[in-house]
Amino acid sequence: MRLLVEISPHQKARYDTKYIMWQVVIALLPPSFAAIIFFKLLAVKLIAVCVLGTNLTEAAVLFFRRRPQRFWDGSATVTGLLLALILPPALPLSVAFLGSVVAILVGKQLFGGLGQNIFNPALVGRAFLIASFPTLLTSWTEPYTLDAVTSASPLALWKFNHVFTKLSHLFLGDIPGSLGETSALALIIGGLYLIGRKIADWRAPLGMLIGVSVLAGILSILNPQNGSILFHLFAGGIMLGAFFMVTDPVTSPTTRKGRFIFGFLIGVMVMVIRKWGGLPEGVMYSILFMNAFVPLINRLTKEKAFGR
Amino acid sequence: MLEVAPYKYPQAEQKIEAYVADKVFIPLSQHIGAPAKAVVKKGDALKLGQLIGQVSAKVSAAVHSSREGKVEDIKIFNHPTLAKAPAVVIRGIELKEEKAWEVRDLKENLERDSLVNIVKESGIVGMGGAGFPTHIKLLPPKNIDVLIINGAECEPYLSCDYRLMLEYTEELLRGVGVLVKILSCRKVFIAIEDNKKEAIRKINNKINTKDFGFRAKVKILKSSYPQGAEKQLIYNITKRIVPAGGLPFSVGVLVQNVATTFAIYEATYLGKPLFERIVTFAGSCLKEPKNLRLRVGTLISELFEKGILQFRKQPRKVIMGGPMMGVSLDCLDYPILKTTSGVLFMDEVDIDQRPEDVCIRCGRCVDNCPMNLMPLEFVRLVKKERWKDLDRFYVSDCIECGNCAYVCPAKIPLVNYIKIAKAKLKSLA
Repeated sequence: MRLLVEISPHQKARYDTKYIMWQVVIALLPPSFAAIIFFKLLAVKLIAVCVLGTNLTEAAVLFFRRRPQRFWDGSATVTGLLLALILPPALPLSVAFLGSVVAILVGKQLFGGLGQNIFNPALVGRAFLIASFPTLLTSWTEPYTLDAVTSASPLALWKFNHVFTKLSHLFLGDIPGSLGETSALALIIGGLYLIGRKIADWRAPLGMLIGVSVLAGILSILNPQNGSILFHLFAGGIMLGAFFMVTDPVTSPTTRKGRFIFGFLIGVMVMVIRKWGGLPEGVMYSILFMNAFVPLINRLTKEKAFGR
Repeated sequence: MLEVAPYKYPQAEQKIEAYVADKVFIPLSQHIGAPAKAVVKKGDALKLGQLIGQVSAKVSAAVHSSREGKVEDIKIFNHPTLAKAPAVVIRGIELKEEKAWEVRDLKENLERDSLVNIVKESGIVGMGGAGFPTHIKLLPPKNIDVLIINGAECEPYLSCDYRLMLEYTEELLRGVGVLVKILSCRKVFIAIEDNKKEAIRKINNKINTKDFGFRAKVKILKSSYPQGAEKQLIYNITKRIVPAGGLPFSVGVLVQNVATTFAIYEATYLGKPLFERIVTFAGSCLKEPKNLRLRVGTLISELFEKGILQFRKQPRKVIMGGPMMGVSLDCLDYPILKTTSGVLFMDEVDIDQRPEDVCIRCGRCVDNCPMNLMPLEFVRLVKKERWKDLDRFYVSDCIECGNCAYVCPAKIPLVNYIKIAKAKLKSLA
């Protein structure tokens, strides 16, 4: 009888990294379907190109780094899908492909691959594109139309024209905006799935939503023209950021307190950019900025050991 | 804390059966502290329960013969945690000639010191797994006001404590009475997880209908792992925090496992030293799981040779203890110790052979650490050999419950890394 001798524990949870990644993909299905409803073929093409781009880049880099291929672990698919959902629907596919290459190459593999990167790879890809193609990245498409009618996003309308989009449209998502960011409803469904299945921790999303609400609440009391709390929660990238970006395990704090603080500071910063910045939206920059503070947050919020 | 599946194992329904081994291999070290000093030699004729190893230091425990018979040898033999250790090998006489244990009554006028002395002379140690000599715990330097009887049995698979609470309810409560008398404490809690409904009902029934000379409360705990870990148990029941590196007496609490409490009953009421215990045998490789009352020193292999246990299929892993903290064995020639709560026989499917992947810093290990430590940092620092920094994350506080490695999606063997860290820090100190 040959018996295996190992250190305890002798049983482990059934899920693994791969399972977690594919669960995130499943949680991203509601916003993806919403995108397809609103932007039809544009959505299908953009998602396909980004997912293909991230996976091909990942495979190529791992090949040249002589590392085992891990295509099926789903992490590159998550990055590709997330990137597609935060890009304008009518973005030229070649530009989208370039973004997905940069997301994986610069955002992830340059740091050493899975688990090593400091910044959220999908946001790195988008930040690169917005610096390189500022006009293309701010050209929005009216939903249900396949021809690229350039129109303003609800946040731009609010900021530059003082026009408010109706909350019901922001909630359902039949508005111009990034591919998967328009429907708060679809994102909430996906996000609650993620948190309900304990794939993502609730602290960072809650922190971010509270951060946005606190500052938006104060500002709207001071001047209703600043927009209500619900307007700011449902418009732009707050919902996608809160449920799918600040919950990225690799680029968010590992301490419980830290996760909440991280989310909260991002929420506050988004509102600061929306109110006082030159841009109508600031989710991407806020998250990337706070990503850099994660090691510091971890250090300052070290868990208090039992009995210490 | 980890959510665990409800009590669904068939072994929980198996009545305790007794088996007396032909031959026993009794290690002289079955406890924390110095090994007992052998007081018998090869060829000696032994009575059942005769002292074979005496207390050799301040922290040590006596060891007794678990068979009437003859000392065949005193030699180095397999030991589940020490690998190899000295053991007294006793060949038992034919069972029908073995004298039954004489039952006597507890002398009512026994004083605290003589009760503790009985516990000491009976070789009683913590039977929940740690094996700390019980008589030392009973003479704390500080007054104890809360006694907790630990019947949580939070490790999956194990059912020996559950069966004990069910089948020896009255004896167990008499044992609690002895502890109350020794400690003269005010509050007594019997802590049981909510998946052991029958045990809760039975104990509640007994303490309500019969006078045991003390008032106790059954504390129902949520079934989660490691609910039975001493410091967490104390915190959950009393909200008192045992300081890092400290012992429960420092907050006025004493915790005793139910099996230990039962042994105290037997020692004081029957005058019987600790030489047998209840052990759960389970796992998918067994034809039928069992709770066996075995003599200390019984080899696992003898149970199969005598047909007491039968394999359904060849095991891939044999674990002494529970699946979370148990020790895996390389063969079946290992003796049952005073601290052995179970032996599990696992197949290919039960054990997890997925390779170690990279950490994605998800923090599940942090969220599930009962000591509130940050296990992922231990792995990072061990890999970088930054031994000094490990102290800042209190690696020495780790109780090695295994939660972090259980929840890790990357299947990183965190307890492995923690053991390396602890060993290294010890060698540097």
